[in-house]
Amino acid sequence: MVWGGTEEKPVPVKFTGMRRELGGMLLRGYLLLLPTIGLYRFWLTAWKRRFYWSHTEIAGDPLEYTGHAMQLLLGFLMALAVFVPLYGLFFYLSTLSSQAAIVGYGGVGVLLWFLTGYAIYRARDFRLSRTLWRGIRCDQGGSAWNYAFRRFFWSLLVIVTAGLAYPFMSANLWAYRYRNSWYGDRQFGFVGSWRQLARPFYLAYGIVVVIGAIGLGLAAPMGALDSPPNPAGFPPLLVAALLIGLVFLYYRSRELTEMFSSVRLGGAALTVKVRARGLVWQHALFGLGLVGSYILLAIGGVVVLGIVAGTAFAGGQFDLDIFMQHMQGSLITLLAIIFGYLLILAAFSLMVELFLGLGLWTLVARGATITGLNSLRTVRARDEDKALAGEGLADALNVGAY
Amino acid sequence: MAIAARFHDGLVAEVEAVELEYQAMGAVGTLVIRRSGDGAELGRWPANTLYALHGRRDELRLGANGQPAGARVVVEGQHDVARVLATLPVLTEKRRQEAGRQVRLAVTATVALAAVIAAYLYGVPLLASRIVGMVPAAWEASLGETVAGQMEASLGESGGLQLCDANPDSLANRAIARFGAEALAGSGSPFDLDIRVVRSDIPNAFALPGGQVFFFSSLLEQAQTQDEFAGVLAHEIGHVAYRHGMEQLISTAGTGALIGFILGDMTGLSVAAGLGATMIDARFSRDAERQADAFAAQVAQRLDFNPAGLADLINRVGADDEFARALALLNTHPLTEDRKAALEILSQQRPTGLEPPFTAAEWRAIRSMCGATPAAEPRTKTK
Repeated sequence: MVWGGTEEKPVPVKFTGMRRELGGMLLRGYLLLLPTIGLYRFWLTAWKRRFYWSHTEIAGDPLEYTGHAMQLLLGFLMALAVFVPLYGLFFYLSTLSSQAAIVGYGGVGVLLWFLTGYAIYRARDFRLSRTLWRGIRCDQGGSAWNYAFRRFFWSLLVIVTAGLAYPFMSANLWAYRYRNSWYGDRQFGFVGSWRQLARPFYLAYGIVVVIGAIGLGLAAPMGALDSPPNPAGFPPLLVAALLIGLVFLYYRSRELTEMFSSVRLGGAALTVKVRARGLVWQHALFGLGLVGSYILLAIGGVVVLGIVAGTAFAGGQFDLDIFMQHMQGSLITLLAIIFGYLLILAAFSLMVELFLGLGLWTLVARGATITGLNSLRTVRARDEDKALAGEGLADALNVGAY
Repeated sequence: MAIAARFHDGLVAEVEAVELEYQAMGAVGTLVIRRSGDGAELGRWPANTLYALHGRRDELRLGANGQPAGARVVVEGQHDVARVLATLPVLTEKRRQEAGRQVRLAVTATVALAAVIAAYLYGVPLLASRIVGMVPAAWEASLGETVAGQMEASLGESGGLQLCDANPDSLANRAIARFGAEALAGSGSPFDLDIRVVRSDIPNAFALPGGQVFFFSSLLEQAQTQDEFAGVLAHEIGHVAYRHGMEQLISTAGTGALIGFILGDMTGLSVAAGLGATMIDARFSRDAERQADAFAAQVAQRLDFNPAGLADLINRVGADDEFARALALLNTHPLTEDRKAALEILSQQRPTGLEPPFTAAEWRAIRSMCGATPAAEPRTKTK
């Protein structure tokens, strides 16, 4: 036995991933998306998960992601089987009379919202059942339909109560997810409740209402709400939006901290400390990265245009006619537009991954400690779960996380 | 010398510090796993069952077929990893095979998707007209009513689409209806044409599903000759005859699904989805325009008007600017000059001695039905 000692010290979770490694992998993946007409996204997702999992180390042993790209691709194809009839329905509705179409669209929208819950749960099932630690696989039980119904009716209640029911919904869904999670033959537990969320949530709620009211109160007399709006009234609104964003991040950090810290696994307990300032810092970095990459793209674009259509800029002035002559070849213009758009999209998603995705994972992983880890040594493996092919709906609905 | 490693047996969540030994007995070597310290043997994995899993840099994770799925031997450190890989070339070989397999899968999937896209681009115009043939005419007609209702509502600020001449038995309306019936005759269309000349500042004319054709007064005012008016009208009737409106609805739905598949976003809300769908639909739409132009040219084989006038009128209300030319691939209409050239070829051998579409009195009545002065003021090209 390596871990002979019986006295238990809390074990911090380590995260060894570097932003540079993830960035290189993503750039390579984005390039490969072009020749594969977008299909490489399934491989990229698999690579990304291997990165996150393999760099997350608990007591000397990293997690292992055992999923494959092909499973994701198959799942996506299966999800299409759900979507094609929905598409037909959508099409049929769009040809009906206006009222029927609106009612129909509303119905399809509600159905999609319901299915999103199902998709989220199935996707989590897929990820957990492909997560290995110390040779033992995680898994998720429960029913995705059950989860979808819970989420759906809770979210209706949240809407009806203008958001006030949110802590109840959040705690309930966290509990359902974790009480149905397994590590080998041992079931996870969840000791959290809405009470832990109530204070930060209603505090944040109150502050948001006050800030919003003040922002609107200041902006309205300045004409920001008139039509057409007067730009002079925008600064108070912007400041209010920024402050609300900060309050939101504060609440998010509290929810992550409280809920993750309520996760139990037999005798082992997870404690996570996510600080609000850490989240704010990651978002600030994201903003800076985004602005920086777009400035870079803009400069690059001008340089390319200068080379391609140099004469249009002759004499320090931009001549639209000459420029348009250069753009004559339809195909070249179109390619330029598409390429430019893809670059902008890629820069955005790169920044989201590098700063928000990696940032959140790092904050949670590095803020996590586990007590009672020794109690897990008796966990035994369960039978293989091969029932799941991919995340299907989650991919099609674009709700995938990590 | 033995190599230090960590070992999970895949049955219990335990980790053992082990020492690896390679025994080359017979053709197939064996990886022997011994617990550090007491040297107890924990496993013997034949070399040919071994495979490497993805791990961090300088970390080698080994699994083996025939062992529990989670059983792992983990070697850490650049030096030790290199030693294991050198001893077990089968690992590198299997990794290479696996990479090759993944590449083949990706290539196959890509080729399949490319085939689907190609089939879509070339198949939908054919397929859409087949599917349209199965759509009941009554349904299409009611759909046209819906669209017309929505359009009236959106243009409703100026009191909807007001007919220029509400009397269906007026000289102008009767002449237009007669022209429509003659143009549509023989096309086998299940629809009754309903041509409405309505007041609007927008120079436009279009056909809705189900046989409704709208001709805006502003376009009529800019028509200088019968040829131009009859040409545009025959073109729109061509859309009705070919049921292009319905066809377009069907192909738009299909395009949305396809683009969603490529981008992995079935909700189709992103800009990329919009741009891609626009490009493909614009292509179908340009084909439809050419078809309608050809229909107008066929009508001109039976009635005496020059279908190329249609291009003249379109050119007058909105000549292709540099921008339109530059973005021709995104445009729903072919470039006017291309259309004119094509129409002139189509109208080269028209039979002589045909009846003009409208008598002089009828044409005067049409010109003045929206209250404009019948005298055609000379207009120069504005652009």
